[in-house]
Amino acid sequence: MREFDWVTLLLLVMLLTCGIIAIYSASTTQIGNDFQTENYYLKQIIWIIIAFIITFLIIRTPYSVIEIMIPPAYIISIMLLIIVLFMPEIKGSQRWIPLGLFNFQPSELAKLTTILLVTKLISKPHITNWQIISRSFIIFLIPIILIFLEPDLGTSLCLIVSFFVILTASDISAFYIILIISPLISIIASFSLIIFIIYILILIYILFKTNLDKIIIGFAVVLNTFFFLITPFIWNSLKEYQQNRILTFIDPMRDPFGAGYQIIQSRIAIGSGGFWGKGFLMGTQKNLNFLPEHHTDFIFSVIGEEFGFLGCAIILLIYFLFLYRIVRKINMLKRKEFRFAAIGILAYLTFQIFINIGMNIGIVPTTGIPLPFISYGGSNLLINILAIGLVLKFLNERSIFE
Amino acid sequence: MYSGQQKPLLLNYTLISVFLILFLSIFKLQIIESTKYTTIAEKNFVRIKTLFPIRGEIYDRKYRAIVLNKPSYNLYISLNKIQDRKQVTEFISQNFDLSLDEINKIIYDNRFRLYKDVLIVQNISFGKMVKISEQMNYYPSLSLKSEKIRHYLYNNHFTGYTGRINENEYTKYKEQGYSINSYIGKSGLEKYYEDLLRGKNGYQLLQVDASGQNLQFFKHNLDKPPVNGTSMILTIDNDLQYYISSIFPKEKNGAIVVMDVKTGGILAYVSKPDFNQNIFSENLTTEQWNDIINDPAKPMLDRIIHGTYPPASVFKLIMATLALEDEVINEKTKLTRCEGGMWFGNRYFKCWWEKGHGRLNVLDAIKYSCDVFFYDLSTQFSLEQINNFTKENMLTIRTGVDLPGERNGFFPTRKWYKDNYGKYVGIIGHKVNLAIGQGEVLVTPLQICAYYAALGNNGKWIKPHLLTKTITGTESNYIQPEIRQLPVSQKNMALIQKSLFNAVNESYGTGVAASLSNVSVFGKTGSAENHMGKKTHSWFAGYARQDEFEIAFVVFLENAGHGGSISAPIARKIIQYYYNLEKS
Repeated sequence: MREFDWVTLLLLVMLLTCGIIAIYSASTTQIGNDFQTENYYLKQIIWIIIAFIITFLIIRTPYSVIEIMIPPAYIISIMLLIIVLFMPEIKGSQRWIPLGLFNFQPSELAKLTTILLVTKLISKPHITNWQIISRSFIIFLIPIILIFLEPDLGTSLCLIVSFFVILTASDISAFYIILIISPLISIIASFSLIIFIIYILILIYILFKTNLDKIIIGFAVVLNTFFFLITPFIWNSLKEYQQNRILTFIDPMRDPFGAGYQIIQSRIAIGSGGFWGKGFLMGTQKNLNFLPEHHTDFIFSVIGEEFGFLGCAIILLIYFLFLYRIVRKINMLKRKEFRFAAIGILAYLTFQIFINIGMNIGIVPTTGIPLPFISYGGSNLLINILAIGLVLKFLNERSIFE
Repeated sequence: MYSGQQKPLLLNYTLISVFLILFLSIFKLQIIESTKYTTIAEKNFVRIKTLFPIRGEIYDRKYRAIVLNKPSYNLYISLNKIQDRKQVTEFISQNFDLSLDEINKIIYDNRFRLYKDVLIVQNISFGKMVKISEQMNYYPSLSLKSEKIRHYLYNNHFTGYTGRINENEYTKYKEQGYSINSYIGKSGLEKYYEDLLRGKNGYQLLQVDASGQNLQFFKHNLDKPPVNGTSMILTIDNDLQYYISSIFPKEKNGAIVVMDVKTGGILAYVSKPDFNQNIFSENLTTEQWNDIINDPAKPMLDRIIHGTYPPASVFKLIMATLALEDEVINEKTKLTRCEGGMWFGNRYFKCWWEKGHGRLNVLDAIKYSCDVFFYDLSTQFSLEQINNFTKENMLTIRTGVDLPGERNGFFPTRKWYKDNYGKYVGIIGHKVNLAIGQGEVLVTPLQICAYYAALGNNGKWIKPHLLTKTITGTESNYIQPEIRQLPVSQKNMALIQKSLFNAVNESYGTGVAASLSNVSVFGKTGSAENHMGKKTHSWFAGYARQDEFEIAFVVFLENAGHGGSISAPIARKIIQYYYNLEKS
């Protein structure tokens, strides 16, 4: 065993501490000269302790044992995702299984087990490109659809991003990735004929450069044209409110009484923080109408308001150092499944950070994604810590397989 | 293609660019645009103001008011503006009937609604308002608002009442635009037509700074005006409603319904005792509330659709029509001699007329309400046959009236008897009892009224209803009720109608107390034995016709005595009043 990466662990503990402080402030309300604090920060501390104990146990388990547990864990997560669809709605979606003391969110577990199972399957020797794509596609598609039905768009998107990043990292040729992504671009491009023609020409050029079979290139062009043609039909067949929902997702400012209002309030909170911030517990904007989300999805707006640009920059720096340290070492992982899994986990953590902070400052659409290690939330926190624990374990075990 | 070495580089670059984008965006927001947002935050400019709609009013068929909106002065507190919490709570407690604990509870419950006005006291008297308004300047967190509350012109069970939304209802309906201070329909029409009566919220976006400059976060003017609630015209006739209330026997509980036979519209809907619904829009005290719910007479129970009772002899028409339709009997068939009762196995079932009616045909059996005739008929049919036929006639099944929580009533099945009396229960004895509307069969007074209206309408059953027309702005909409045909031939229908006429208009008929010289009255009495008291429930149901006006009625009184002597005379008064009213 090589020595454990204590610096990364320290950075993680710093993030968790920032989270506890921010949750304490977010759940404190000031009425006149009176302060009242909900006990969310205590619950968060308990969750962190539980998460560390579980992670410690898993790190201590030999990987050969963990490996055997991955397929059943995946199947259990899928079953839980099906069960959760029959659970009573909480805040308009069915994401949680009530377990008395807390609500468990199976989509978080599914995220980790899906990545581990896919990377295990596609790391087998002598595997063809086609096998890699088909296997990972099916294993990802099931939880993505189930999570989308809850509905939890944010977590579905996380999995989609992990899927593409793992494919990119794997040994398959870039052509396949382009082939998979290209219809998505066609759908977006279909709203303008000129853009679509330019896009198709560029696509054909790239594909010719790869010296591939003409039949495959022809297939790619036909596929893209098909998506280009069908999108306007689907769009027009949608009801007006459905179209509005999609448009509002892309541009929240269209809906000033809903999504747009939250973003405006969040921007005001962060913007008014200035360089130094208003100070701990001194935020004035956190008690606005969208408050119920404040200790979860909009925690960054509390940090921005009370700790200012300085606080935000420090948080970003810790995140960056934390992720960068791991990225730098990923190449040293010689065992493919470790490398792919680590990349997949990093991808979704980075994506969550980007989407959550981006949503708080109003540069990306609003989706219910928590801020890793900082937002309040048991299942999310537990799985994120567990995932990082696994990555550290992989890095630690590399010597055995060198 | 990529080599193993290049990929982590790609990851590096992705990571760096993601954080660079975030860093620059935050820099722009917190350093470059900071002043702008600081001003907005201090003044709290960008706010949504909800504009609440005015609730629809309710009128009778002649456009006379039943439910109106009236102004009420309420005290609100805005938690974010509290300067000294202790001072404010003491001020409220000194001036109003609220303890410090109660006020602090309201504040605690609403601690996440800092920027919303929270209701503290409602229905403040004018004198009190003048008195406190002088001191209001010292408490910027308090504000007085004039709002509309419901005013019910008379006690009744059909309009129901509205009350402040409770926490459960708020969680359930807040998506639909209810605020924590909203009123919501709690029962009756107010609940059933909540969506129509309420209207839709409007919104106003306040995004103007101190100098009147539009901040232009949102480019377009997206304000939505509120849509006021729909006003309703009911089939109810206020005069008739008042009259029936006034002649309703004192100290008696029961229900009286009058329906228009041709339209199915309910003209009068009286359930007694009743309660004053206005107390729910005022400051209802715990004592008042306890008085109402602990009253043994159950004033909040709407006996017309929520009460279920044995129908007794008013049910006999079901047996008679079933037998006629199945051709078990015809109009001439005479059954077992009534000698004041009849033996079934080792049990003797008594007729209400101990001296005995002798041998009767169906016409006379209904007129005299002879029990033995129907005991005998019960042997000809299975329990399921009677049950099905009862339901086909829309008894022991919801009528679908436009009120919430209507009850089905009950008709027992073979399985029910086995579950409740054991496997070897004898069905025959129970069936004998059911044939005269006793035993386990239960109906609501409204079902009986709708059934007799259908008999008066040659078998055309029209769903009883209260709403006839809605008015939104200047548009009005008429409601078309559901119609179905009862499974009775015209020939048999004529026979049944004749028997109901005889029962009221021939000597020794059970319903003679309801007869009138200038109006044709058709009706059937009922005296239901029950476990609620010694005296029987008194029923009289039927219909009356004069020229083109035809009404159906049910007069039901709990434990009041015999239908013929108690309910029938009341029905007579109602019919007389109604036709005098129509003439004038």
